[in-house]
Amino acid sequence: MGEVRLKIEHLCKTFGITKAVADVSFSIKKGEVHALIGENGSGKSTLTNMLTGIYTIDSGKFILDGREVHPKNQVEANKEGISIIVQELGTLSGLTVAENIFLGHEDKFTKFGIKNTNLMNKMATELLKKYGFDRIKAGEIIDRYNFEDRKLIEIVKATYFEPKIVVIDETTTALSNEGRHELYKHMERIKKAGNTVIFISHDLPEILEKSDTVTVLRDGVYIDTVSSKDIDEEGLRKLMVGRELEGDYYRKQFGESVKDEVVLSVKNVSVPGLLEDVSFDLHKGEILGFGGLSESGMHEIGKAIFGASYDRSGEVITSDGTHINDIPTAIAHSIAYTSKDRDNESVVMNESIGDNICLPSLDKLKLKWKFLSDRAMNNFANEYAKKMSVKMVNIDQFVSDLSGGNKQKVVLARWIGKDSDIVVLDSPTRGIDIKVKQDIYNLMNGMIKSGKSIIMISEELMELIGMCDRIIIMKDGKISGEIDRSVEIGENTLISMMV
Amino acid sequence: MDRKNIFRALLPIVGLCAIFVIFNIFTNWRMISNLPLVLSQAYVVMISATGVFFVMTMGGLDFSQGSILGLASIVVCVLSKYNIMIAILGGILTGAVIGGINGYFYVNRKIQSFIVTICTMFLLRGVIKYLTTNAPVAGAASLVSFDTIGLKIGITVLVVVTAFVVFRFTKFGRYLKAIGAGEKAAMFAGVRTDKMKFLVYILAGAMTGFAAFINVIKVGSVTSSGGSQLETQILIALVLGGMPISGGAKVRFENIIVGSLLYIVLNSGLTMMGFSTQMMQLIQGVIFLIFVAVFADRKSIQVIK
Repeated sequence: MGEVRLKIEHLCKTFGITKAVADVSFSIKKGEVHALIGENGSGKSTLTNMLTGIYTIDSGKFILDGREVHPKNQVEANKEGISIIVQELGTLSGLTVAENIFLGHEDKFTKFGIKNTNLMNKMATELLKKYGFDRIKAGEIIDRYNFEDRKLIEIVKATYFEPKIVVIDETTTALSNEGRHELYKHMERIKKAGNTVIFISHDLPEILEKSDTVTVLRDGVYIDTVSSKDIDEEGLRKLMVGRELEGDYYRKQFGESVKDEVVLSVKNVSVPGLLEDVSFDLHKGEILGFGGLSESGMHEIGKAIFGASYDRSGEVITSDGTHINDIPTAIAHSIAYTSKDRDNESVVMNESIGDNICLPSLDKLKLKWKFLSDRAMNNFANEYAKKMSVKMVNIDQFVSDLSGGNKQKVVLARWIGKDSDIVVLDSPTRGIDIKVKQDIYNLMNGMIKSGKSIIMISEELMELIGMCDRIIIMKDGKISGEIDRSVEIGENTLISMMV
Repeated sequence: MDRKNIFRALLPIVGLCAIFVIFNIFTNWRMISNLPLVLSQAYVVMISATGVFFVMTMGGLDFSQGSILGLASIVVCVLSKYNIMIAILGGILTGAVIGGINGYFYVNRKIQSFIVTICTMFLLRGVIKYLTTNAPVAGAASLVSFDTIGLKIGITVLVVVTAFVVFRFTKFGRYLKAIGAGEKAAMFAGVRTDKMKFLVYILAGAMTGFAAFINVIKVGSVTSSGGSQLETQILIALVLGGMPISGGAKVRFENIIVGSLLYIVLNSGLTMMGFSTQMMQLIQGVIFLIFVAVFADRKSIQVIK
C-alpha cells in the first residue's frame, strides 16, 4: 500500500482549438480506488482514453510502475495491464459471450490458425462461475442478454486477467442497484489484490463512499487530489465548479398540494413483456416520478404515453378526451418526450442544432404562403438554444459534436420551443454533470410553476425524492407502490418496493 | 466552414466549369456550338435525378429508375395514340405504381431499399423485353412534334424549381433530411417516417414516369433497351454533384443540377473527342470513384437503408 502505481506527467491533448487535457500531472497509488471527477468536458474521459490507447497522446507521459507506457490500442493496453469498462456498450454484437470476453486475446486458444472454441467457452464458463454470473452462458450470442448483463460481461472481460489498473468510466449510471453492487464488489476485490481502480462517476455520494482518493479536473486542468475521508459532497462540488453553486439544487418546497385537475389518464396499459396493466393519472402542475430497476418496465412508460410503444394495449387519454396512439398525435396534443437513449431516440445526430430544435415546431415557422422561413427558423433556434444555454459555436454546428449534457439541452430546447404542456423525461440527467443537472432541475421547477406537468423516469432515487410530488415504483412491469412527497422518504423506503 | 468543407462545396462547380472549358478546347469549341444537342441528354437525367435525390436524402437508394423509364415510355407511346394528356398522365401513374411497389416492400416488408429496387429493376426489364419482343413500341406520329427545345427546357425548369421550393421551404424537405440524419430520432420528433418513405418512393417513380414523356418525344418509339442504365447515370450524376451517398443533413439541392450537367458534359465531351465506349466507361469509373471518396460522409451510418 501507498506505493505509486501510475505517474501522470505533463499530459496534454487538444482537439482542434479545445484543450481537452492541459498539462495534467498527478500520481495514482497501488491498492486504491482513485476517483476522477469533473464536469462534462473537464477531460476525465480524454485522460483515461489516452491511458487505454483509444486516443493518442499529444505530449506528456504515463509512467506505470516506473516504466513509460504508450499503448496504441486497447489490446496493447491490456498487455501492459491496463483495462477499461466504458460508459456505453463496450461489447460487440453478433459474437458469443466467450468471444467478447477474450476479444483481442484469441491467440491463446489458437493452434495452427484454428481457434479452439470449446476451450475458449470452457475457460469463459469457469470465469463467469468465479464471478458468480452463472446464468450467463459463455457459448450464447451476446445479443441475447440485456444491457445490464452485457455490462456484467464487460466487468469479466476487463478484470479477469488481474490488470494493474482498471478504468471504470461512468458505468454505474447505466446499471441498476443490483448491477452496481456487483461492480462495487469487484472494485473491492481488485483493490484488495493490490491493484488500482480509476473510477469515473458523476454520482458524488457514490464517489465518497467507494473511493479512497479523489482527483478533480476542471476544463482540462488539474485542480486537486484529496482523500475521500477529508471532504464532503459540498466540498467536491466547489472544487468541480470552481465556485459555490448558487440557489437550490433540488426543489426546496414540501407540503404543496397538487391540483386535482387531471391532464393525462393512463388506463390499463400493457406492452407485451414490458408493462402489465398500468393505470395512473397525471395532474396539472405536478412532477410525477417513476422509479424502479432498469428492467422494471418504467422506461417503457414514457414510450407508451408518447405513442411510441410497439404493440401497446390500453388507453392514454388527454384532458380533452383525445386518445394518444401515435407520436404525431401525442406531439400535436402537447406531449413531449425525451428518451433515455439520447443519441438514437432524442437528437437527430447528423443534423445541426438549429434543425434539431425546429423539427417538431415547423408549423409555427411558416410564412404567409405556408412556406418555411429561414429567418423565423434561425431566430427560433437561437432563442431556445440561448434559453437553455447550449454550449455551441452557432446553431449550424452538428449535434454529433456536442457532449452528452449539451445534447440533452438541445432536446429540452426543442420541447420548450414547442411549448408542450405534458413533458415526459426519461433519465433526463443521465451522465450529465452537476451544473447542467442543476439547470435541468431549475427548468423543471419553472415548468411546473407555469402550470405544466412533468413525468420524470429516473434510476437515481435521490433525484426522484428531491424533485417529485409523487413517486410511483415499478416492479416486473407493474406498479408496486406509490409515495407522496415528504421530507421523511429515504432511499431505503423506495428500494424495499423495488426489489 | 473549415477548409475541407469549402473544398467539398466548390469541387463540383469548379469541376463543371473546368471540364467544360477543357472539352471545348479539345474539340475546337464544337461543344458550345452543339450545346442544344449536349443538353438534350440532360433533361431526362435531371428530372429523374430530382426524384432519386429525395430518396437518397432520406438515406435510401433507387436502382429501378431505368426500368421505370422504359416501361413508362411504352405506356406513353401506347396511350399517345388516344390523347397526349392521357399519355403523360399514364406515364406518371405507371411510375407512381412501380414506386409504390418499391415503397411497399421497403417500408412494410422491411427489405433494404437497394435490394428491393434491384429486384424491380430486373423484373421490369424483363417486362420491357417481353413487350418489345417483336418490334419497338411506336407512339403516335404526332409525338415527335413536341420535341422542341423550349418545351423540354420549360418542363425541366418547372420540375426542378418546384422540387427546389418543396425541398427547401416545406416541412417535407426538412423531414426528409431528418430521416436521413437519424431515422429513429426523427420519428421521436413527430415525423411519420414510414409514410414519408413510402410517399417518396411513389414520388420518385412518378417523376421518372413524367420524364418518360420527354424520353419518347425524341424518337417516338421505345426499344427493348429503353431507359437502361438510367439508374447508374442518375447515381453518378448525383455523386458528381457532391451528394453524400448516405443522405442526411449534408445534401444540397445544387447537387442535382451541377451533377447532371457535369455528367452530361463529361459524357458528350468524351464522345466528341472520339473515345471508344469501353474507354469512356473506364474514365467515368475512375472519376466516380474519386468523387465518392471525397464526398462519402464517413461519420454517418455505414449501412445504406
